[in-house]
Amino acid sequence: MRKSARLGAAVFGVVLAVSACSAGGDEPAATAGQEKVTLSYAMWDNNQKPVMEELGKAFTAAHPNITVNVQLTPWEGYWTKLKAAATGGAAPDVFWMNGPNFQLYASNGVIRPLEEEITKDKVDLSVYPKPLIDLYTFDGKHFGLPKDMDTIGVWYNKSLFDAKKVPYPADDWTWSDFNEAAAKLSDPAKGVYGTAAQLTSFQEYQYNTIDQAGGFVISPDGKKSGYDNPQTIEGLRFWTDLIKNKQSPDLKTMTDTFPLQLFEAGKIAMYWGGSWNVSEFAKNDYTKDKVDVAPLPKGQKQATIIHGVANVVSAKTGHPAQAWEFVKFLGSKQAADILGKKGPIPAYNGTQSAWVAAHPEFKLQTFLDAVAYAAPFPVSKNTAAWNEAELTYLTKAWTGEEPVEKAAAELATAMNALLAKE
Amino acid sequence: MTLTTRRSVTKAAPARHRPRRKDRAVEALWGYAFIAPVGLGLAVFYLWPVLQTAYFSFTEWGAFGGHTWTGLENYLRLAVDPEMGRALVNTLTYTVLGLLAIPLAIVFAALLNTKGLRGVGVYRTMFFLPVVTMPVAIAMVWRWLYNGDYGLINQVLSLVGIDGPNWIADPATALPALVVVGIWSSVGYNLIIFLAGMQAIPKEYYEAAAIDGAGPVRQFFKVTLPLLSPTAFFVSVVSVIGSLQLFDLVYVMSGSGSSARSNPAFPRLETVVQLFYERAFVTNDRGYAAAIVMALLMLIIALTAFQFRLQRRWVHYG
Amino acid sequence: MAEAPTTGGRRLGLHAVLVAASLAMVAPFAWQIITSLKTLSEATKVPPSVLPSGHWENYGEVFGLLPFGDQFLNTVLMAAGRTVGQVLLCSMAAYAFARLRFPGKRLLFGLFLSVLMVPPQLFIIPQYQIMSSLGWLNSLQALIVPGLFSAFGVFLLRQFFLGLPRELEEAARLDGAGPLRIYWSIMLPLARPGLVALGVLVLLWSWNDLFWPLVVNTDPEQMTLSAGLTALQGQFQTNYPVLMAGSLLASLPVIAVFVFLQRQFIQGIAHTGIKG
Repeated sequence: MRKSARLGAAVFGVVLAVSACSAGGDEPAATAGQEKVTLSYAMWDNNQKPVMEELGKAFTAAHPNITVNVQLTPWEGYWTKLKAAATGGAAPDVFWMNGPNFQLYASNGVIRPLEEEITKDKVDLSVYPKPLIDLYTFDGKHFGLPKDMDTIGVWYNKSLFDAKKVPYPADDWTWSDFNEAAAKLSDPAKGVYGTAAQLTSFQEYQYNTIDQAGGFVISPDGKKSGYDNPQTIEGLRFWTDLIKNKQSPDLKTMTDTFPLQLFEAGKIAMYWGGSWNVSEFAKNDYTKDKVDVAPLPKGQKQATIIHGVANVVSAKTGHPAQAWEFVKFLGSKQAADILGKKGPIPAYNGTQSAWVAAHPEFKLQTFLDAVAYAAPFPVSKNTAAWNEAELTYLTKAWTGEEPVEKAAAELATAMNALLAKE
Repeated sequence: MTLTTRRSVTKAAPARHRPRRKDRAVEALWGYAFIAPVGLGLAVFYLWPVLQTAYFSFTEWGAFGGHTWTGLENYLRLAVDPEMGRALVNTLTYTVLGLLAIPLAIVFAALLNTKGLRGVGVYRTMFFLPVVTMPVAIAMVWRWLYNGDYGLINQVLSLVGIDGPNWIADPATALPALVVVGIWSSVGYNLIIFLAGMQAIPKEYYEAAAIDGAGPVRQFFKVTLPLLSPTAFFVSVVSVIGSLQLFDLVYVMSGSGSSARSNPAFPRLETVVQLFYERAFVTNDRGYAAAIVMALLMLIIALTAFQFRLQRRWVHYG
Repeated sequence: MAEAPTTGGRRLGLHAVLVAASLAMVAPFAWQIITSLKTLSEATKVPPSVLPSGHWENYGEVFGLLPFGDQFLNTVLMAAGRTVGQVLLCSMAAYAFARLRFPGKRLLFGLFLSVLMVPPQLFIIPQYQIMSSLGWLNSLQALIVPGLFSAFGVFLLRQFFLGLPRELEEAARLDGAGPLRIYWSIMLPLARPGLVALGVLVLLWSWNDLFWPLVVNTDPEQMTLSAGLTALQGQFQTNYPVLMAGSLLASLPVIAVFVFLQRQFIQGIAHTGIKG
C-alpha cells in the first residue's frame, strides 16, 4: 500500500500495479476527515477478540467514517509476522505492543511518537499507573496509551495450609514469614513443596524479589546490568535457597512438570502468579474452591512488577489522524469500562471494579492494591537478547552447579556486552 | 538372476545409440523446458532469499532491514562461539543416531508389504497415524512417558527397583531420549516412500528368486534391498539433511517454547538451526544468524556431496 | 513382493511384532482422542489420567470458535493445489534430470538440491515480502504458490525414474516418440507409486503446515485449519481438549485419503509386464 509499495510495484512490473490497490490504496492522510477509512488493528489474544471488536464498533458509532478491522494473530506467530510486516512497511495501522518489544520498535522508527497528539488533545496521562506510562516512553517521547495491566501475587492453596495448620498469608507478611510457611508446608517425601522457584518467568519471580531486595535488573539509563549488584543477587538467592532447602522442586522436576501444573495438582502450596491466572484458576476443578491470592511478601521493601499491553500506531500508517483517534478512544474511560467487564484489568484508574467483582471468590483487590508499590518492567532496546542470557547463565545457579553470585556476575558481564551493542 | 552382478550406473547406459547433433540439441531444449517451471519457482521463492542471506551474512543486519557491511566479522565470531561448537556437536550426534530410522523403516516396510498377511491394511494405517497426530499431542505423550516423577517409563523401572532419571532434563539422557522421539516421528513418512519404492520392483524378480529356492528373508536381501537402493539413497540424503536442520523436536520437547533454555540439559540439546532461529527471530542478531545458516548450508552441501560420491558403491539403478 | 511366511509360528511372530509396533505408533493419536473428550482441568492433571471422559461438547465448541467451513475449504484448496501442482511440475523436472541429456545438468540439479538443504525458517520473512510486494497477502494464491515448487519432489521422483527399467522407453523412442510423449504416456504410468507417495507427502505437509498460513494470511476466513487452530493456543493458557478435538476433526480427511490411497502402494506397476 501507499508510497513504498507503489515503488516496489514499479520495480516488479505490471502484475503488481493491479494488485497494489487491493492492499489498501488509500489517499494520504492530509485529506482525512470526511473519507471512509478502515483501520487494521492487530492483537494476539483470541479470548479478547470479541471485546476488541465490540470496542471497534463503539468507536465507529462515534466516528462513522472509520471502521476497525480486528486482526488476530495468535501469540505463537504474532511477533514474527509483525516483524515481517514492519520490515516491508506494511505493519497494521494500530497494534498491541508489550514491554520487552517496545523499545525495539520505537528505536527503529516502526511506531509513531504520539507526543504532539497527546499535548494537542490534552490527554491526561495521570489516569494510568506511572510505571506503565514510563514503560512506553522512549527518548522522552510517549509512543502509546496503556490498554491493560497486570501485577503479581502469591496464589496459595488453602487446603494445604489447613492440613499443616499454617495460617494464611497476612497482607503485610515478609520474606521470613514466607520462608517459614514454605518450610512448614514442604513435604518432599510426598512430592509436596512450599513453593516452586520457577526459572522461566522473571516477571512473576526474579524481577519481583530483586526489587524487593533493593536491587535492580538494569540501570535507569538502560546502559548497565544490575546483576552484579549484591542486593540483586540477594533477590536471586531467595529462590536458589528455596531449591537448596527442598522447599521448592529442583529444576529438573520443574522442567518435566511446569510449576503451574504442579500447583493445579496440589503439589505446590504457594504459586507466584499474575492477575491473568484468575480465569484459569476459576475454571480449574481443583483450584476453583481451594485457592486464594495474597500480596507478595515484603523484603527490604514491598514491590511487584507491573506490566501491561499498550496500543501503538504504525509509523507508516496512511491514516495517522484516524489511528490516533482510535488509540485515544481505546485509552478512554468508556473503552476501559467495556474492557473491564470481559477482559484483563483495564489500565485506566478507577475502572477496575468490574474486574474485581467478576470473581468474588478470590481477593482480587490484592492485585489493584499492589499498583501503589508497583515497579516497572525492566526493558531496553533489545530486551530479548539479555532475556536469553538471563536463562543461559542463571540455569547454572538454579541447578546448583554454580554459586548464585558467580552465575549472576557472569550474567552481568554478558548482559553489559549486549547492552553496549544496542 | 543377474542382480548380484552390479548393474551399470545411469550414465554408462544410454550409450547404445549415438544421436545426431540436432537430436541432441532438441533433447537439451526439452530438458530445459521440463525443468523450467520448477526451476523458475525455486529461483524466485527460494534461491533468491538464500543469495540475499548470503550477502547479509557479511553485514550487521537490522531487525527491520537496513544493514552495514562488516566483512568477515560474523564468521570470525562464529568460529569462536562456544555455543555454536556445542550446537554443532549436538546436531551431528542427532544426525548419526537418527540414521537408525532408515533400516527400521525398511524392515517395517518389508513386513507391511507381506502379501496375504491378514490385517495388513490396518497395520499400515496405524503406522501412518503419527504423521497426522497433532504435534502438541505427540509432545504431551512423550513428555509424560519421560517424566521423572510420574512417567510411565520410570514407573515400570521402579517395579524392578530402578530409580529412573528425569529423561529429558538430565544431560546424560536427554539427547538419546529425543532421538527416539525423532525416529518414531519419521517412521511414517519413510514408510510411505519405501512402500512406494517396493512397488516399483518388478515382481518377476521375486518369482525368479522363488524358483531359485529363496525364502522371504533371502528374497529381502537379494531382491528387495538392492532394488530399493535408489529409494534408500533418497531417504538417506533427505534424512541427513533433515537431521542437520533439526529444530521443532527440541523446541516442543525440551520445555515450553521460550523456556527450552531453562532445561538443565539444554547445552546437550541445542541445535544449529535453533541457534539460527533465536538469533534471527528472538535476539535480533540477524547478520550473525545469516552467517550461522550459511555455515550450516556449507556443511550440509559437503555431507550431501559426500553421500553422492558414496552412492556408486551401493546404489543400483535400473 | 515377498510371500507371507507359511509356517504358523512365524506368522504369529510377525503379528506380535506388528501389533507391538502399531501400539507404539497409535498411542499419541489415542491420547489425542482421549484428551479431546476431557475437560481442561482433566486434561492438565498431574499425573495424567488415561481414563476417557465424555465431553463431546468440545467438538461442538470447535465450530463456535473457528469458521470451520471456510478454513476447511481453504485447507482443501491449498492442499489440492500444492499436491497437483507439485506432482506435475516435479515429475517433469525429475524426468528431465533422470533421462534427458543437456549441458549443465549436474550443476542445475545441484542448485535444485541446495534449496532442500536450507533450513526452511530462513524463507519466512523473504517470502512474506515477495507476497507483500505481489499484493498477495491474505489470499489463496499466497497459500498455494510458494508450495508448488519443491526440490524434495524433484529429487524423490528423479530417484524413482532412475530406478525404472529403460526397455519400454527405448521401444517408444524407436517408434519415434518424443520426450513429451515418453514422459506422459510411459514414465508417468510407470512411476505411479512414486507419484502417489509424493502426493500423499505433499498433502500431509500442506495439511499440517501451520506457520506459513499464519504469517501470510490474517483474516480467519482466509486461514487454514491447522493455522486457525493455533488461535486456541494462548499466551498463558491453552484449551487442550478443544484444540485436540479440532485437530482430530481436521485430520480425519487425511486419514480417509490415506486409507483409500494405500491400495495404490500395493498395486504398483509390478504387474505391467516389464521384463526384468
